[in-house]
Amino acid sequence: MRLSLVLFAPLLLLWAVVAEVNHTLASLHLCLFAGGLFVASIALHQPLRPGLFATLAAALVCDAHAPVPFGTHFLLFAAAHVFVFRLRDRIPRGDNVATTVVVLFANLGIFLGLVFVEARAVSTPASLWPRLLADLIVSQLALVVVTPWFFALQARALGLAQTLAAFRSRQAA
Amino acid sequence: MPFKRFDQAHPFVTLGVIVAAWLLLPTAVKTFARATFFELTAPITLATSKVRDLQEYWSLRLHSKNELIEAGRDLARVNASYEVAVQENVELRAEIARLESLLRLPSFSDYRFEHARVARRDFSSWWHRLVIRKGRNFGIPVGAPVVFTGGVVGRVTEVHATTAVVELISSPNVRLAGVVEGDSRPISFQGGNNPTFAPPKGVVELMPLDLIASPNTPKRLVTSGFGGIFPPGLTLGTIVRAELGSDGLFKSGEVRLDERLGSLTEVTVMVPLNLDGAPAAARGR
Repeated sequence: MRLSLVLFAPLLLLWAVVAEVNHTLASLHLCLFAGGLFVASIALHQPLRPGLFATLAAALVCDAHAPVPFGTHFLLFAAAHVFVFRLRDRIPRGDNVATTVVVLFANLGIFLGLVFVEARAVSTPASLWPRLLADLIVSQLALVVVTPWFFALQARALGLAQTLAAFRSRQAA
Repeated sequence: MPFKRFDQAHPFVTLGVIVAAWLLLPTAVKTFARATFFELTAPITLATSKVRDLQEYWSLRLHSKNELIEAGRDLARVNASYEVAVQENVELRAEIARLESLLRLPSFSDYRFEHARVARRDFSSWWHRLVIRKGRNFGIPVGAPVVFTGGVVGRVTEVHATTAVVELISSPNVRLAGVVEGDSRPISFQGGNNPTFAPPKGVVELMPLDLIASPNTPKRLVTSGFGGIFPPGLTLGTIVRAELGSDGLFKSGEVRLDERLGSLTEVTVMVPLNLDGAPAAARGR
């Protein structure tokens, strides 16, 4: 449970940062989507259960702020998490380029999943493609820049939590 | 060997369990979870918004005194013209009330104006929404119209403890009735698909054939007052193109919306004073 909370805290920070960037980009009619980073950063390095709890909690935060059927992000993030987790033994997880590529593919998958879900609610979905393409390109470029920072942040948060836990156990002893 | 096979399938079994559990979860639990997670993150939204305000305050502090004096002078002139407009408004309201009593007409709904700062803008391909820094704590109901100096912003779709969500008229799923200024026939307005780096736009349908609009002769589109949510006469946008529809009976066209919709920092929520007489949406049903 503690590990899930430690993993969830940077995800909440990431959600706040993405929301702030989207606030700024609103006047340009651009929207950043970083679903792949929420999933892959944890699925690549953490055990299944606590990692999945953290990812799903972040997905529920995304669901609460979007006018989509509640659970859309939840199910898409869960599926992406499981797929990345299943493939992670075949990926050089210590390599920044490889992890960034995984994040980009995970983001693309979740983005297309959301497009598939939402396209049914719009009367002329074909006219949305130029805008969706622009959003996707901006999101992928932003993820290339942000991924190493976020992986480092996750590692620091875990390190800090471990140090605190060790300090407390020493005090108790 | 069978254990190894299960170990490989374990993540997918977990996924199957999660999907099944989610599908079986009652709607009430999901609604509660949505509200909980929204309220959980509301302090983050509000805090970032207030930090932004603080940042703006400190950037304004850098202005010289001369600039402030000039701004104060300009503001005093604007205030003087508004004072005159307020006096005219009072007289016109009294005239309307007199005519209503003479002709025994049903009176227009009265509104209380609640000004609110915009905490967050969220303009995706599928929706255009704002989170404002006032909610149930200021008595804002679901369905209340939201306006700004340029006209209609949208309407309140969700109300939370200290925040509310506003769906903008540029959102592709928003539909409402409008009329061309000076005409009484209703036209269907819908938010459009907003391309990147371009001003927001909408579309009109069921437009009478005799109405002509082009980039050189644009027509102002205002709210009709039908449906009861928006009072009549509020600016929606400008019809810049109208062409014969596929059925040949009506025209359809393009509406250019106010560019400031994408950079709003403050809006006004029109809270109906008499909620019993207000439409169902504004009563929070």
